[in-house]
This record gives sequence, C-alpha cells and structure tokens, in this order.
Amino acid sequence: MPPFAGSMNPSQDSHEPKLESNSIITINVGGQLFQTTKQTLALAGPKSFLSTISDDRSFSFSSSQPHVPFFDRDPELFSIFLSLLRTGNLPSTAKAFDLQDLIFEAHFYGIESVLLNSISNPSQFEPFTLEKSMLLPLNGRETPSSISTTPFGSVHVAHGSKITSFDWSLTRKWTVLTRFAAVDSLVALSPVLAAAGATDFSGLQIIDLQKGFVRKILNWDNSTKSGSTVQAIGNSNEFLFTSFESSRRNSNSVMVYDLLGDFRPVIEIAQNEIYGAEIDSAVPATKLNWVSSYNLLMTSGFHSGPSGVSGNIKLWDIKSGKVAWEVKENVDCFSDVTVSDNLSAMFKVGVNSGEVFFIDLRSLSSDKSWVCLGDDRKMMNVKKEGLGCKIENHGNQVFCSKGGDLELWSEVLVDASTKTQDWLGDRVFRRNLMGKSKDRGGSKITNLSFGGNKMFITRKDEQFVEVWQSSARGF
Amino acid sequence: MECWDPNNVPETLPNGRIKLNVGGKLFETTASTVRSGGSESLLAALSNRSAGNSLSDSVFIDRDPEIFSVLLSLLRSNRLPTTARRFSKQELLDESLYYGIDSVFRTAISPPPLSGIDASLVSTIKPASDGVVSAFTAAADDGSILIAHAGQISNYDCSLVHSSSIRTHLDVISSIRRVWPDITAVGSEAAAGLHFYNSSSGRHLGSAHWTDPSDPRIYKSRAVAISDSPDSVFASFDCKHGENTILIIDKSTLKIVSELGRQSGNAAKSSVPGKLTWTPEMNILVGSAVTCGAFGYAGYIRLWDPRSGEVVWETSEPGSGRSSRFGDPFADVDVDSDESTLAKVCSKSGDLAVADMRKLGDDPWIYLEDPSTGMRRVGSSWEESVVHCYRKQLFVGRTKGLEVWSRTEEREFDGGEKECGFGEYRRNYVDKVEDAERGMIRRIEGGGNRLFVCRENVEGIEVWESSNFSGTVSVL
Repeated sequence: MPPFAGSMNPSQDSHEPKLESNSIITINVGGQLFQTTKQTLALAGPKSFLSTISDDRSFSFSSSQPHVPFFDRDPELFSIFLSLLRTGNLPSTAKAFDLQDLIFEAHFYGIESVLLNSISNPSQFEPFTLEKSMLLPLNGRETPSSISTTPFGSVHVAHGSKITSFDWSLTRKWTVLTRFAAVDSLVALSPVLAAAGATDFSGLQIIDLQKGFVRKILNWDNSTKSGSTVQAIGNSNEFLFTSFESSRRNSNSVMVYDLLGDFRPVIEIAQNEIYGAEIDSAVPATKLNWVSSYNLLMTSGFHSGPSGVSGNIKLWDIKSGKVAWEVKENVDCFSDVTVSDNLSAMFKVGVNSGEVFFIDLRSLSSDKSWVCLGDDRKMMNVKKEGLGCKIENHGNQVFCSKGGDLELWSEVLVDASTKTQDWLGDRVFRRNLMGKSKDRGGSKITNLSFGGNKMFITRKDEQFVEVWQSSARGF
Repeated sequence: MECWDPNNVPETLPNGRIKLNVGGKLFETTASTVRSGGSESLLAALSNRSAGNSLSDSVFIDRDPEIFSVLLSLLRSNRLPTTARRFSKQELLDESLYYGIDSVFRTAISPPPLSGIDASLVSTIKPASDGVVSAFTAAADDGSILIAHAGQISNYDCSLVHSSSIRTHLDVISSIRRVWPDITAVGSEAAAGLHFYNSSSGRHLGSAHWTDPSDPRIYKSRAVAISDSPDSVFASFDCKHGENTILIIDKSTLKIVSELGRQSGNAAKSSVPGKLTWTPEMNILVGSAVTCGAFGYAGYIRLWDPRSGEVVWETSEPGSGRSSRFGDPFADVDVDSDESTLAKVCSKSGDLAVADMRKLGDDPWIYLEDPSTGMRRVGSSWEESVVHCYRKQLFVGRTKGLEVWSRTEEREFDGGEKECGFGEYRRNYVDKVEDAERGMIRRIEGGGNRLFVCRENVEGIEVWESSNFSGTVSVL
C-alpha cells in the first residue's frame, strides 16, 4: 500500500508524505473504520458518491466535531475497493470473493467502471499470451451461428433463434428469443443492444437484448418491391452498415445508417441491379469492415460457380458513395478478408491455397496485387484448402483460422538496411500457431471475435463459446 | 445529531444505527436494514429494544458470526453473497429461521422466471430407496415437490432439500395431489379408494370410496386422477368393469359431496379421465382420457361446470367435430389455467395445437407452426409424447428430446396494438442430445419456476431451471 494517494496521480505536485490533516477521511463501513484521503476517493469518479464525500467539508477533521460517515455495507468488500482505488489494481485478497459479489458491490458504490478498467480493459489484450481459459456454455442444442463483442468484452451469441448475451465479467447472461430461424449476422451496438439479420428473413432488426423486444426494423426499399434479406452487418463509431439483398436475389445494396441519429438512413452505396449477365453485380457484400484511419468501408463478396470461386473487394468512400479502390478476384479468390487499421494492410486467406496474403494500403494503386505470405505455388491448387477459413484482425495482429487451428500473424519491424542484407521483403510478417498443444485442433472454427482483453471462438457443432485470455489477467 | 447527509448518499442516516455482537464479532448496521427482514423477526425485535440506547451498547447474540455475516449481506443488498456457498442450504435456512428472516432467504434462493429457451438441468432429486418415481406433484407452486415412489411419499421443500418421507399403506401410488399444505391425497391403480395422509406425521386421515347402494357392481373402485379447487377435491374413479365417475369431495370435511359425469366406460369415448384439471378463472373442470391401442390413439376432452355437473364442451378424437386433422388424434392434452387455453400434441404428426377455452367451438384448434426447418419431424409412426403448459410456454416431451414452444416478444408498436390470437411461436430444444438418451419423458410439471421431468424407468426427477449466471467452465 502506498503511503499516500498522491502517488497515484501524476498531476499531483506535492509528493511529500506530509499531508494536510483535513485531506484524511475516516469512513465507517459496517462497523469497521477506514482511513483514506480525499484524493483516493476522488479516483472513484464523479458518478460515485465516494467522491462526493471528499467534496463535502463537513466530513473533514477540520470541523470541531468530526462526523464519521457510515455505510451499512460489508467491510471486507469495501477494503478491496479501497485498495483498488489506491493502486488501480485489485488486491490478491479479492480472489477470495466471487467476481459477481464484487460487481454487485461496486455497483452500489458507483465504481463499476473502475473495476471494469482493472479487469477487462482492451489495453490489456496480449495476443502472444492468449490461451484457452474458459468455456461459456449455451443451453439448448443449437450451435452458435454468429457472435459479436463490445470493446469492453461483453459478448452476444446467436444460436438458433436465440441470442444469449454475457456481460463484460462473463458471469451473468440473458437469453432472448428472436423471430429469425437462425441469426446469420450479428453486431453488438452496446452491452444491451445488437443489430441482427438473416439471409432468409427480411429486414434488419435492432434488438434490445435485456428486455427482449425489437426496437426497430430497418428495411431496404428495392426496385422489385420484394423483401430485403441481410447478408452482412458492420459498424463504426458513427455508422451502421448493412448489406441487403432483395428476396428475389436480383438486386443488392449497402445501406449506411446513422448510429447516433436513431438509425436514420445516411446513404446507399454499392447498389447493384442485375440486368445483363455480369456475374459480379449479382454478388452481394458478405463482409463489411470499416477502416477508420482511411475513412473507407471495405465490402467483399464472392460467388462460387462451376468455373471456380470469383469475388470482389471494394473500398468505398461513404461521403461520396464512390469506389476508392477495388480488386477482382479470379485466381485463388479469398475465403475471408480483413483490413487492419493499425497495420495499414489488407489480409486475405486464399480459398484454394489456404495461405495468407496481404496488400499494403499505404500506397494503393490499381495495379497493386496480393503478396503471398506462404507457398504461392499452392495458388493453383484445386483442393480448396482455404474453404471456410476465417481471418480477423485485432490490435496489431491478424488471426487466421484454418480448420480447428488458429494462426497468429504479426509484423516484425526491421530497418531497411537489414531487409536488403537478409533478403527480406518490404514488410515482414511472421506466423505463430496459437494455444498449447492440447488446445490445438478440434472442430472447425466458425467465428472469431475480440473484446476487452479476451478472444472469443465458436466451433462447428459445439454448444459453447471458447474464451481465450492471458492467464495473468484472469480474475 | 446534525444532518451531514448529502442527498445522493444512500442508507447513511446516522440515527437508527445498531451494533450487534454476534458470537464475539461486532457488526454495525442500521435499523432499516434489520427491519427489512420483516417486522416480526427476531432482529427487528432486538433493534426496537436497543433503539433508545446509545451507540456504544451492542446487542449480544450467541450465534455463529460467519453465517450471520452472510445473512446480514442478504439483508443489506437483497442478494445472497457467493460466500454463502461455504454453508449448506439447510444451515442457512436454519439460521435464517432463528433470526426470523427465512422469507427473505427463501426469496433470495428461488430461481428466476423459467424461460424454456435458456434452462439447464440443475439437479436430479433421487429418493434414497426405490428411486423410480410413480407419481409427483409440484402443485404448491413454490418450487417444492411431493414425490411418490413405491408407496412412500417424499417431500422436498422449496430449496429442494428433503424434508420428510412417509410410508402409506399403498404399494404403488399412481396419483398424488397436495390438498392442504400438510394433507396429501393419493390414489393407486392397484388398490381401492382415494386416501388422505398427513404428509408430516404420516397418519392416514381418511379415505373416499365410490359406492352406489343401487348398483352392487360399484365396489373397490380405484382413484385415477386428482385435482382440487380451494374448497373441493375432484377425483376420477373407475371400477373393474370400466364404469367410471368423478367424485367431488369437500376439502374441509374430506367427505364426498356429489358425483359428476358417470359413464359406462365401454368405449374410448367413455373411459375414465386420466387427467383432471380445475381452472380457477372459469371454474371449469377439464378431464381428458387417452387410450392407445393397435389402431393408434383415441381419447376425449370434456369440460364440466362443477356446480351444475353439466358438460360445457367436449371433443373426442378420432371422430367428433370438424377436425381439420383427420386421422391425427392427440397423444396428450394439458390445460393452461393461467391463460385459459388447452394444448394438445398430435400422435401422428407430432404437431402442437392450442385452443382458447373461452371460444371453444367445432374445431377450436390452432396448429402451431415453426418456420425453422431443422427440427421438422420425419416419419409418420405413432409417437408417445407429453405436453405441459407453464409460464406461457409449451413444453413437449418426445422420444427425441424435450422441446419448448415460446412466443416471440411482440414488437413495441406506438399505438400498443396487439396481434390477436396466439402470436408467433418458436420451437427450441431445452435439453441436449445426451439428455434425451436417458429415457422417455413420462411426465413434465412446472412449479415455482422449476420444471420437473420424470422419465420412464429412470430413478429420480430432473429439475430444470433458468439462471442468469453464465456458469463458465474453466479449462486452464
């Protein structure tokens, strides 16, 4: 325990242990006396009444008759929170309690956000030390069809016609019933709100997951006046993107909705009508990925026909509704593609080769082509090794699933002179296989998502969600 | 004392503070916390006694301080802390009874509203001996259950702790009903009469037999199904030669008052009702019988007004009415008395149908459709299935598993208009594949937000509950 709370706060100038007597505060919690400082309590944040104690002059020792504020709560839990406020970390004595109790008590004191920051902070995400640590069981028989996470690690899981939400601590859950037979795309908008859609059900639904009702249904008015099924959903901080296809499957479009303005439609981009025989316009976007540093939306879609898999990847400027860059995929088309903001690169996994490729986004030109990060002879493979592989990025890493295994790709920063000396390429990416040997393999990975300091995985035919986190950070 | 309390500080009024010395450990709390356990409780009484005294005096209670700290947390936050896991439910219940706050404790441990789409098997109640359950009832609706097994009646209280077992003179109990909190009515397919037992002392309190002075063939009749209303017990009886009736027994005297619906029993349409349900809202007695033979299922549903003894409505399958489902008679029927609906499960198609009891006509059935294709039944052989209505959900036990039909939430429209009829139902499995392999589901009953499932020739009764705890499994 630090001798004084000033050490917590770098903006504090007085670092000498001599403190004015009126900054010490005595609190009685459930019969046990605690002494702390105003500064420590102020760290509870303005929402907490603990910080208002420090503001109130009548609490201080300076008045002639000291009044010790009394809280009718458990003293042992309070001592944990006091340590948390003093150091910013949970003391190891907290392990004697259940996380559930801590959250409930933190809610009473209004310091849930302090607790959340110490346990499930996205900045604590450590890709190299992730290991399979927990399973979140799902009731019923359906396997998860899609999952989505919030930045602080709440996770929504769609299985069958149900959506089960777990809170950030993963200790509590709620399940709601939807009208979908199966939810094919799901995007978490908040710990209690999600956008859900299905390829066989018209309309995008904004569902309140705590109360279980549909808050809004968004439809795309297409020229054929038929229903609009949802092929993919994406989001940024401001917008919700939805790829619709008409029920007759003869037109498709990407709608941009305002997340901050009650889902008002902003712009319609990538509208396609099939009049001719051009196959490309019949392919709706099945993945939407917002690239915030470039202010571009990546859309990708592919079509599998007798001549093989072909697809397209486009980057859209959503202000003008124009394509900023596009690539058509004919040879070794992607089975999944992702754009990493932090790495300024686009990654795909080839459907034939099963290898990972990248394109540097820092200097985009029309003649840019994929750089293979593996054996490029496999591009002419006919075996479709990459079928069903998923690729996602989080932080500075790219995660690629191959069957039941998960590869972790990271960039090695090498200076230019060494590159030429060691015959390295322009950018150096290296791969690792994730997990201990006992956790490798298993059923095919169907979904990958990241939130808080955790990674979430679902697998084919398994009725649970795997949680991977660094063991040092586990509660 | 001057008021220092800023507006947003909860529960910190300086007056009404109480110091308690429990087993040598000091606790400080407020009078309002202590009184939240009920004004009758020991703690509230102690708080009143010490109200006039100064803060320095503490009340000494010679009990275990550890358990008290759990119960104090419960009073403070209305929620059982997880440190309570160190103690058994029985210990905590005993201790909360001592302090007089058992009602708070019971509320805290009761399960949340049962949602079939998110229920899991929490425990299996297994009687110590003769574990195959012949009949059970959860009719008290507090989560407690009475289990009849090989002539014994075992009582499990609302925390599913075994509270008593008694032995009856019957060798097999085939129907059971709690008619008063401590009086249980039992019937047997192997012995005559309906018998009343005190479920705590085990005393035989009386019996009811169906007799007819004008007809000597009416003797040694067996009680088949039992139901009750606040003032009467209804029991169906049948004789060896098939003749059957329903006797109405006064609850306070346990004497037979009247008889209704006597019939010959020489056809499926007149066999003894195997299920009886009294609906409080409409004051209607619903009886149903299902027989299964070489040519499939046959049965009837009949509704009586118990005051007049008149038949209000009836249907029999196959046969009567303008049924849109010819050749698909029901395999089981249940009554949802909260919503006044009937539910049936068809024997051949496996389809589920509901009917509004207020609007019964020639063909009142509305067949439920589920658009999800993954669960559609294949094959068309007769299948034994059971249906049970609970908390606006329909639970169906089939050979392939336990499924639940639940209504999707209505969208919040501006005008608040509601779809009429039964809305949209979705079908989901409650159980997993490995659960279904344990055996055929023979009976399902809901009570106290628990679902009790009894399987053919399997020991014990499964208890399914919903929970908001995620139940994470560590795999490190």
